[in-house]
Amino acid sequence: MKKALLNFFSKIEPNKEKQPLLHTAYDAFFTFAFTPNETTVNGVHMRDGMDLKRLMVHVVLALQLCFVFGTYNIGHQHFLALGEYTGFLEGAHLKLAQGLLKLIPLYAVAMIVGLGIEFFYASKKGHAVEEGFLVSGALIPLIMPPDLPLWILALSVVFAVIIGKEAFGGTGMNILNIALLSRVFVFFAYPTTISGDEVWVSGLVATAAGSGVEYGWWHNVFFNGIFEAFGWATFDATAVVADGYTGATPLSLAFKGGWEAVTAEYTTAQMWWGTIPGSIGESCKPLILVGALFLAVTGIASWRIMVGMLFGGVVMTLILNAWGATEFMQVPWYYQFYMGSFFFAMAFMATDPVTASGTTTGKWIYGFLIGFVGMIVRVMNPAYPEGWMLAIIFMNVFAPLIDHYVIEANIGRRNKRALAVAATTKGA
Amino acid sequence: MDFVNIFLKTAFVENLVLAYFLGMCSYLAVSKTVKTAFGLGLAVIFVLGITMPINWLINTYLLGENGVFGTDLTFLRFILFIAVIASMVQLVEMIVEKYSPSLYTALGIFLPLITVNCAILGGSLFMVSREYNFTESLAFGLGGGFGGFLAIIAIAAIREKIRYSNVPPALRGLGMAFILTGLMGIAFMSLMGIDPAAFSAN
Repeated sequence: MKKALLNFFSKIEPNKEKQPLLHTAYDAFFTFAFTPNETTVNGVHMRDGMDLKRLMVHVVLALQLCFVFGTYNIGHQHFLALGEYTGFLEGAHLKLAQGLLKLIPLYAVAMIVGLGIEFFYASKKGHAVEEGFLVSGALIPLIMPPDLPLWILALSVVFAVIIGKEAFGGTGMNILNIALLSRVFVFFAYPTTISGDEVWVSGLVATAAGSGVEYGWWHNVFFNGIFEAFGWATFDATAVVADGYTGATPLSLAFKGGWEAVTAEYTTAQMWWGTIPGSIGESCKPLILVGALFLAVTGIASWRIMVGMLFGGVVMTLILNAWGATEFMQVPWYYQFYMGSFFFAMAFMATDPVTASGTTTGKWIYGFLIGFVGMIVRVMNPAYPEGWMLAIIFMNVFAPLIDHYVIEANIGRRNKRALAVAATTKGA
Repeated sequence: MDFVNIFLKTAFVENLVLAYFLGMCSYLAVSKTVKTAFGLGLAVIFVLGITMPINWLINTYLLGENGVFGTDLTFLRFILFIAVIASMVQLVEMIVEKYSPSLYTALGIFLPLITVNCAILGGSLFMVSREYNFTESLAFGLGGGFGGFLAIIAIAAIREKIRYSNVPPALRGLGMAFILTGLMGIAFMSLMGIDPAAFSAN
């Protein structure tokens, strides 16, 4: 298998001089499958097989569970709004079809636009394609609402990759997290597509009771044709949103009426298992925690940042509990983590090794402050429903500063120690 | 409580540099290393913290209708504010020159240029238009200074870091600094809209 793949690759390798653009593309896919065996010419260098590309693949692997659940949940939320197939596993084929119809275009657009820009810059600057976009491109669809127009997604990816990354010199040089920067772009440039109660459920004209569904050719002809052939239930183009349905997310309910308003609509089990409306990948907490554990154990994501962030969030909620000016502030700290995207941000966003602090002490401070600031934004800022995206961007800005002072402190301490040692040896 | 509210609000929510984009010249010019940026940041805190209450006193007791002269002299506001700022900056300059000659040379022309820094004069004018009282204007001055301090050392640390990045040649230096300022402005928008006073009222 391995040999056949290697043979295949050596057979199709284009000429580097004659077709530089094609060779760049070939190189990207070859190093995706195999670690390159280039060695240095002089001097001894230790190299690990665990290079950047394999590191990124691990993160993408950790995201797979979120992808699967997210796809299914898009469909599940769609049919919950219609009041059909309310059991989680009822109508599974319809839910999966609806989810795929939403997720695949988002993923494809993010990948094509992002990788297109990467390929363009790589051939222009004459270096190998940097694979940084593999992770960003996998994260971006997961943090968007399912019904986001594709051109807005494309625009946000263009902004994030060019301004956020290529301007800084490419992969590993960016200051702000690319995936979050694209979401921030959508958030500030097209706020109605990514906030409020309307956008988190896919395929509806509106979330008000009685409004219709938006089905296209794929629903009515393609999937219905297949399902009819099997004798399964089909998409019903005349379905309308059920009475009493609002589509409000737990966070928007909590902002209006505290924890009572949330539990009136959703159970804690629903919030924990993620069968609630929200961004595509953020909702299912156990699966995200599995991914987080995988990243922490393999050493790709820093467990210090995760623990620090959890700690910071808890401390801030305890302060807010003590303050207790609004109903949202009085929500107990352990319930805060049932709502919103805290765990997703903790596992996959805050731990981005490029934009986080690099020093060990710095990671604790960085993580703690994300938790602290994020909870302030979530609870106290009336303009934004959730805080982690902006808190992480905010702390990305300060991460180099934290590192600077941690390193300065280290230098000072070691200087002192060296001076002390010098003084004692002199005395003796 | 008002003191803390206004301090936090001007430092984080309505940051003079990253929300109003005031005081850009020294912010962009002296942010190449954290050390000099730190010195300039302290100078900005000092100047804002001193001039704001003094300007408040002048505005109320010299220029106002209930002041010493008993007539409305507010048309003199600009010239007097600038005079106060200039003398304060002179003071800072002498202190820095005496105690830290290396910082004095590193800051160069940008230290006297704080005089015409729009963040400082803008701060005084904000104070007048928002009708702050004495303690509030002190809080506003210190908060604004702290916000500027934070912004300038943050961008200095980032600029030290991206010195090792492969930035396209056309963007090196100021071009990158402008892009960074924009991105930092986005980051600071996270706190925009929070009003601490709205919560303490209940």
